[in-house]
Amino acid sequence: MAHSHKPEKKKSKGPSSKLVSLVAQFDDPDSLVSACDRARREGYRKMDAYSPFPVHGIDDAIGIRRTRLPFFVLAIALCGCTFAWVLQYYVNSTDESPLFPGYKFFISGKPLGVAGIPANIPVMFELTVLSSAFAAFFGMWILNNLPRFANPLHRISRFRRATNDRFFLELNADDEKFNENRSRQQLEEWGATAIEECHLDTTDHAIPKGFKMAGVVLMFALLLPPALIYRAAGMPYPNPRLHVVPDMDWQDKFKTQTVGPNFSSDPLNPSYLFEDPQAMRRPVDNTIAREDYGMQFDEEFVNGFHGEAPSPETGGAGPNAAAAQDEVPAQPQVVEADWLKEFPSQVNVDVETIARGQQRFEIYCTPCHGYDGNGNGLVNERAVALNANGLAQWTTAKSLHDPAVKSQPVGRIFDTITHGRATMGPYKDQIPVKDRWAIVMYVRALQETGLAPPAAALPPSETAVEPK
Amino acid sequence: MATSIDMSLDNTFENPGRRAPLVLGGMNYGEVTDNVAHIWEMDRPPRTWYIVFSIAVVLLGILGACLFHLIMKGTGVWGNNNPVYWGFPIVNFVFWVGIGHAGTLISAILFLFRQNWRTSINRAAEAMTIFAVICAGLFPGVHIGRLWVFYWLFPVPTEHLAMWPNFRSPLLWDVFAVGTYATVSLLFWYMGMVPDIATFRDRTKSKVGKIVYSLLSLGWTGSARAWHRYEMAYTILAALATPLVLSVHTIVSFDFAVSQLPGWHATIFPPYFVAGAIFSGFAMVVTLMVPCRSLFKLEKLITIRHLENMNKIIMATGLMVGTAYGIEFFIAWYGGVSVEGFAFWNRAFGNYWWAYWIMVSCNVFIPQLFWIKWFRTNLVAMVIVCIFVNIGMWFERFVIVMSLSRDFLPSSWAMFRATEIDILMLIGSFGLFFTLFTLFCRYLPVIAISEVKNVIPHDHSHDHEDGSHGEAAAH
Repeated sequence: MAHSHKPEKKKSKGPSSKLVSLVAQFDDPDSLVSACDRARREGYRKMDAYSPFPVHGIDDAIGIRRTRLPFFVLAIALCGCTFAWVLQYYVNSTDESPLFPGYKFFISGKPLGVAGIPANIPVMFELTVLSSAFAAFFGMWILNNLPRFANPLHRISRFRRATNDRFFLELNADDEKFNENRSRQQLEEWGATAIEECHLDTTDHAIPKGFKMAGVVLMFALLLPPALIYRAAGMPYPNPRLHVVPDMDWQDKFKTQTVGPNFSSDPLNPSYLFEDPQAMRRPVDNTIAREDYGMQFDEEFVNGFHGEAPSPETGGAGPNAAAAQDEVPAQPQVVEADWLKEFPSQVNVDVETIARGQQRFEIYCTPCHGYDGNGNGLVNERAVALNANGLAQWTTAKSLHDPAVKSQPVGRIFDTITHGRATMGPYKDQIPVKDRWAIVMYVRALQETGLAPPAAALPPSETAVEPK
Repeated sequence: MATSIDMSLDNTFENPGRRAPLVLGGMNYGEVTDNVAHIWEMDRPPRTWYIVFSIAVVLLGILGACLFHLIMKGTGVWGNNNPVYWGFPIVNFVFWVGIGHAGTLISAILFLFRQNWRTSINRAAEAMTIFAVICAGLFPGVHIGRLWVFYWLFPVPTEHLAMWPNFRSPLLWDVFAVGTYATVSLLFWYMGMVPDIATFRDRTKSKVGKIVYSLLSLGWTGSARAWHRYEMAYTILAALATPLVLSVHTIVSFDFAVSQLPGWHATIFPPYFVAGAIFSGFAMVVTLMVPCRSLFKLEKLITIRHLENMNKIIMATGLMVGTAYGIEFFIAWYGGVSVEGFAFWNRAFGNYWWAYWIMVSCNVFIPQLFWIKWFRTNLVAMVIVCIFVNIGMWFERFVIVMSLSRDFLPSSWAMFRATEIDILMLIGSFGLFFTLFTLFCRYLPVIAISEVKNVIPHDHSHDHEDGSHGEAAAH
């Protein structure tokens, strides 16, 4: 039967080709297994069988050793599991790290670090499975030397049935026992229904020079983009960066301290959503901060005076009051309230309160009054400079070391913070009552210690300072 | 002899003395190959294929248009509101992920249990898994709002910002679970298909087909050494996919169960979700396989017995789901938490009572028909039951998500109203699914040819005597 296929063999034989193997066809799996078994007993070692489905018993018949794939998969699986835990520990439980900064993420009261492993299990499990699946998949192809597209077996047309309904045994030509004629005879003896020769085409198919050159040029061209990116990294560039994706860099919205929504298209006759054009809303009058709730009944503590309220001339400096030359000592006081001389009982006079006062003072007061209370805050200095050029109207911030201020009772200073004086606005909405008293206490401390810096350091515009 | 085989042949008999044949008509190896490969080799697929494909492509177009609208406008085009922050997107996500589970169950778990009847249906079921996971991934994917920064889902290092995902959030577990699931399913499906693509490669006369199938089959020859490692890798992947498929829907259920909401915060969620996923997935496999086998003349390979087995699994998982519905009420009562009690009372008799009763009828009552053999073995009847199951399982997720509409604070209660975009996107996702599935049927091996050959009795390849015995036993 094998002889009838000789013409085909000749046809496949190219100008220079080498016999790789003999390929024998069998019609059913059982005869393939028995042929493999006999070949092995004859001493053939370099052989392989081909079948459309895994044939049972063929491994022993050919002598295939058990694959190492499972150990490879196990190793990768352990790596994947470890990686998953290290990753989660590193990015959610640490603050600093050599490469990229981690971020200590406190959430839902779940513990960090090793104690937080239960919450890390799902991702550890998933990455273990993922890495082992990759290991099994790619490991299998690598161990099988696949993909391999140039296989001389594919040139044999009969061999196409190896993926359909025929079974093949291949005896390699470089096996010690291999002898073309004798092996062919043996295969026929073992029940082969057809025998083919597998030839490797050894004709020189060198790549043309032009292609090689083009390949080299292409390789260098591929290096260009990364090189350009490397060069561009960290290079200052005058134009704003290109925003492919706006990423909320610009949003239509009304910010505090800006003009609010205007519904009119006529610029001369604007129509605002609110009566005043500001975007920001103020709290309703007499709004009480949550932490101050209940204190409104504690009048002395909240007001800073006993009994009757001071007349409107002294208390409350609205925006309109800015124009008035409101020098406190010079102003005739219509009704002076009965200011508290001592701190109310709700305030603890101690270091902690002073420290709190200092902290609040440095937030709210220093921009105008300066860190030492001399009135040399940055806002004040800038405003004074603008004033000198006639660009602003500004009442110089008071030095807290001014004797007129020093002589004021604590209740009066408290009232100044609460309702403002002259250009100074009211702070009752920003600073809770207790903190206002703390600031007063810190102001008193500043005044007592007289922390006035040397006169040389003072800006020339400051004249009110009287060094003690 | 094979020509005289009656196609309505019944292999659903139960005879302890004799195994029912898995492949009818006493096909030999070559006939199995011919039967599967003819789908790709025929000049034109049947007209029904074109009709289904065109409808699916139109729906896919609708999905594309909706996605474009969504990306341009933002997620406000959906009906998601306060307090129902998760509306259709999460319902559709869980629905589609659940559908996918049957494929992995058939390909991995039934493989490990040596259930040989899986070989005829596993390929199509695995394909269904992958397409369903694609549909599922779509919804949370576009739900993130700014699609172009989707990579923030992953722990991508940044140079200056210490910006990382929160690894203790179930939503991030979801990213890893669904991502792993999609990847492993794809590897499993593709690896299983390589020998069959090689079959196509060796048979095709089309030039383009030859190139494409040659590349896809990676030069597979069917060498015994290759088969040895291949079977090992396949077993390992099956062993990996088995816990994976259980973990995926467990983690999906954590999205709900880890939050502290009445009706969601329950330890029963993971097993109940997994059972529901397999339930809906098998229903989808039956829905797909019944028309597929008639259209492509695969009745000898996908026999009534295969379908009946799946219907039995549907009934079993349906009973599990039904039990879980009951247990939920028991837990709510036994737990003694009034809010929890209210949440369940509200499910059955509250603002979405109709959805609840659709769910219960479709998932618990209708599958009981499968106790009757006629329903398990009649093609039209089983498809109708399975479609009801899928409707019911969609509503199950809807009912769970709608627990949000009445949370702790009555002042924040609100009804959810799906917008046109919501509904069109749900329909469009079916378009995506069926487009992919119809293309798969036409161009790739629908049945695992090499695996089916493995379960044919060897004698069948030469004479049909054994097959006729089987037929005799059936009658």
